[in-house]
Amino acid sequence: MENFDQIALALIIFIPLAGAIAAMFMPADRQKDVWYFAIVVAGLCFALSLYIFLRYDYGAGGFQFQDSYKWLPAPVDINLSLAVDGISALLILLNGIILLGGVLISQNIVYRPRDFFVLLLALGAGVFGTFAVRDLFFLFFFYELAVLPMYLLIGVWGSSTDFRTFFRAKEYAATKLFLFLVAGSVLVWIGILAVYMGAAESGFPTFSMETLGRLAEAGQLSEEFQTWVFPLFMVGFGVLAGMWPFHTWSPDGHVSAPTAVSMLHAGVLMKLGAYGIIRVGMVIVPEGAENWMPVLITLGTVNVLYGAVSAMSQTDLKYIIGYSSVSHMGYVLMGIATLDRIGVGGAVLQMFSHGIMTALMFLLVGAIYDRTHTRDISVLKGLFSRMGVTGFFFAIAGLASMGLPGLSGFIAEFMVFTGAFRTYLPLAVLAVIGAALTAVYILRLLALTFLGESDARWEHLTDASPVEKAVGGAFVLIMIFVGVWPEPLLRLINVSVDALPGV
Amino acid sequence: MEWAWLIPVFSFAAAPLIVVLGRVLPGSGSFLAILAIAAGFALFWWVFAGFLGAGAGTENCLVSAHTGTLTCHYQMAWFHAGLAGAAGSVALTWGIIVDPLTVAMLGLVTFVALMVQIYSLGYMRGDSRFGWYYAVHALFAAAMLTLVLADNFLLLYVAWELVGICSYLLIGFWHERPAAKEAAKKAFIVTRIGDVGMLIGILLIWREVGSFSMFDAFEAVSSGAMTEGVTTVAALLLFLGAMGKSAQFPFHVWLPDAMEGPTPVSALIHAATMVVAGVFLVARVYPIFSAYDGDALLVVAVIGLITALMASTIALVSVDLKRILAYSTISHLGLMMLSLGAFGYTAAIFHLLAHGFAKALLFLGAGSVMHGTDELDIRKMGGLRKVMPMTAFLFSLGALSLGGIPILSGFWSKDEILLAVNDHLNPAFIILALLTAFLSAMYMARAMFVTFFGNLRQEMEHAHESPASMIGPMALLGVLAAVFGFVGFNWPGSYQGIGSFLFFHEAEGFHFNWWLGILSMILAVGAFVLGYLIYIKDRVSLEGFRARIGGLIPVVENKYYFDEAYQWVVDRVVLVFANFIGLFDRIVINDLAVNGPANSVHRLGIAMRLHVTGHVYSYAMGMVLGTIALSIFWWFRSVS
Repeated sequence: MENFDQIALALIIFIPLAGAIAAMFMPADRQKDVWYFAIVVAGLCFALSLYIFLRYDYGAGGFQFQDSYKWLPAPVDINLSLAVDGISALLILLNGIILLGGVLISQNIVYRPRDFFVLLLALGAGVFGTFAVRDLFFLFFFYELAVLPMYLLIGVWGSSTDFRTFFRAKEYAATKLFLFLVAGSVLVWIGILAVYMGAAESGFPTFSMETLGRLAEAGQLSEEFQTWVFPLFMVGFGVLAGMWPFHTWSPDGHVSAPTAVSMLHAGVLMKLGAYGIIRVGMVIVPEGAENWMPVLITLGTVNVLYGAVSAMSQTDLKYIIGYSSVSHMGYVLMGIATLDRIGVGGAVLQMFSHGIMTALMFLLVGAIYDRTHTRDISVLKGLFSRMGVTGFFFAIAGLASMGLPGLSGFIAEFMVFTGAFRTYLPLAVLAVIGAALTAVYILRLLALTFLGESDARWEHLTDASPVEKAVGGAFVLIMIFVGVWPEPLLRLINVSVDALPGV
Repeated sequence: MEWAWLIPVFSFAAAPLIVVLGRVLPGSGSFLAILAIAAGFALFWWVFAGFLGAGAGTENCLVSAHTGTLTCHYQMAWFHAGLAGAAGSVALTWGIIVDPLTVAMLGLVTFVALMVQIYSLGYMRGDSRFGWYYAVHALFAAAMLTLVLADNFLLLYVAWELVGICSYLLIGFWHERPAAKEAAKKAFIVTRIGDVGMLIGILLIWREVGSFSMFDAFEAVSSGAMTEGVTTVAALLLFLGAMGKSAQFPFHVWLPDAMEGPTPVSALIHAATMVVAGVFLVARVYPIFSAYDGDALLVVAVIGLITALMASTIALVSVDLKRILAYSTISHLGLMMLSLGAFGYTAAIFHLLAHGFAKALLFLGAGSVMHGTDELDIRKMGGLRKVMPMTAFLFSLGALSLGGIPILSGFWSKDEILLAVNDHLNPAFIILALLTAFLSAMYMARAMFVTFFGNLRQEMEHAHESPASMIGPMALLGVLAAVFGFVGFNWPGSYQGIGSFLFFHEAEGFHFNWWLGILSMILAVGAFVLGYLIYIKDRVSLEGFRARIGGLIPVVENKYYFDEAYQWVVDRVVLVFANFIGLFDRIVINDLAVNGPANSVHRLGIAMRLHVTGHVYSYAMGMVLGTIALSIFWWFRSVS
């Protein structure tokens, strides 16, 4: 087992990557075969991610599953070092779950299915890599690997929105998403190089996050330096986390993407941004982080309220969920910015919770759209009588989104509020009010779409397919499990949050 | 007694079982819900007996310094927020309190829920979502039972929200009807607004105390660690939550609309769950409300009085039987709040229990009327006692009890409230409270006489009495509505009356103020006699009275225009603002700030493109012009 533990992280990056490459050589017209193959690969990834999560020793804490491959020696000092703490282990599990779910429900991709799964698996590998590496260069590398396939996935397999009031082409959404994320990564890259140069000035030129973290702890990087570097990370990663006012790529991107991509995008990719702020911003430039946290929590609060109010005025199912993601990521940003052990823990739990919840919502909207070919909530009505299971799952996801106790979102939001109340009282009060706004738009959505007399137009509808039901049901069970007994997750989170500087 | 936590667990377990197995089980699994709540009711008696036998020396039990009553406390770990043991982290628990308040509430909730569920067997028979009904019902009861057992604010809030969502599901049970759908949404959102205040209050206490335990909060209040200002603000924030759930002014608007749900649901919501949660909350955290001379309690009293008066006037002009009962509930909840505000802790809970039994009976009676006649408009009824004798008798019993006719239970509990108000508050309060008591007897008389007495209308001759599964539970509730008041007396033996069982700090014996008792008796009996003369004998005409207050009647009939005002705010303020932000996001942030730079680059590219024409003569022209310009430039330079 010891030996296996050492290569577990390398495997979880390598398997989807190799799977993507292998899939390229499969015949292009064998749609089912490539789907089965992708399921096997994603299933292996899920099993590995679960293994890592379960085997992480929360009693010991710290970074585990360590492994390192030399690449460029000093003075550049870039190595592929891998290790996870509780936060990364949890997010790797999240990616494992959502990747598998996304692949499973993509059985109906008929246009160039092989290329679709190649890109999807590459994206998955990039996300696993970002969560597992301990080297800034490779962090950036995997980060880009996760972002690039998104452009093609949306641009090629996406759908355009043609609405009474406005029109959004999928190419527009894909381009916007890509330009935004690239602009963000440029900032991150400048920040990484600045940190490298700063460390070199202190005599330790390295990209190793471990060494850099220790340098910061020893006060080798001046506060002034940290204070101008942190905003690069905050904004750069913040773009991916949907931080206001850099959020507009996110609803458009969600809406245009095909279902599996929406799930991965909102479920996992946005978490990369928040993860980057924690892992790079808070650890490597902690004093800078501390100085900027009032700004971050203010922006987070704006996210919460602005996203919720925007969602209230939307009429497209996916836009509502897209803006609700903006709102919910606000809780993540707020939680991080509290620098409070409960608040940051809440932020991490919220990443997981929101990932599952929003992936489930996109899955269900995808199922509805496949059958009705519309997402307009003023046209859809009374779906509950035709699509009972879909409606039931949607209601549960919606309730989780409202922060209903017994479901995962409540524990996470509650912890964020708890942390924020003792650090930033007025903003915390505003955020609690924002949580109530969620109820307004979710209930409006549920009432318009699912409740009421069923419309003659939708007489022919069938309920979700068995695969969709199975994946959706699994997500629902996860949300209930976390909502009722969050301790197994919090054990990992607590010990790792405790080790973060400044908390 | 340490097994009290099982009471809600039975019903919690029943709910998912019914959802999953409902299709294959006989009766859609309804018997599971009934068995679960019956087990809870049986266990209640076990807990009750155990509690009466316990003393300060019993393990886990002590006489609380904050409430003065015997309090037993059991808990187990739930989760840690923050690393266990580290500074600033907190361990959350699943914990229960067993004290007199909890015991009383457990009895009320399990009994009423059991009666309502048995009654529903008949009432809901044949409904296409019969199993779902019982599943949500079980969950509803479980949530309410957890609420009354919770020992910490987090668990309390968890249960509180679950109660809210279950009410949403049950009120909107017939969601194909637009009115039911709207009513469910309204109930959830209005109570949610109160809940926001409550959550802020809980977190504020957390900020001050560093714990979610109620005992820690009480300790901080009594030791002065929580200052007067913070304590009062926290109490008022918690009260916001109570106002939402207990439908206090100005949050009362959801309750009458909640009549859109199946009638047994109304009985449950109005009598045992949901609406009494607010009153229970104030009673549960009474040490916080009553601290520092009870500044917060004055607000409670005023809100309660306004609510009671307002609702009883509306009840007097409503024509829908269920709505009359709904406004009556609001009015009685107001009285309970008034009582709590007047330091009448025992009286409030006493009335809560007595009202619970009577109101459940009345709603089940209204359901029986609806079952038999498919009608709820009292103007179309009359003389129903001839075709539905049992329903008429039991409904009348409930109405007389709630109206405060002596020796029925409502008389005793209402009297205790009047006494508390008289003892502790300004005389204006007692006058208005007596007026409310009179009005409440009046609208009860009206509902009872108009519906069941007088001449039977022809179109009502087809009406039929309800089956035994419906009448049986009503009869049991009827017994309690009649005699429950006697628990207030000083009985010989170990039970010394409710005042020495359920009290705040000081045990009180039964007291009866003769002048107040006789006055309220005269008012109640007078109201019923007056009602009889007006609605049956037609001896007293209301025309003169109506003419004199003519302008006011439409105001009351339109429920003081609260709905209209709220609708205006939602349409004209909230939605307009949301649309503004939506457009702002699209136009300013997206089109201007995001597409703007992209478009500028695009336009710049188009402009720049113009000079690349591909024609040799235009390039030659440019070269010539450039040469001339340079020559002129150099010439000027050499000159200067």
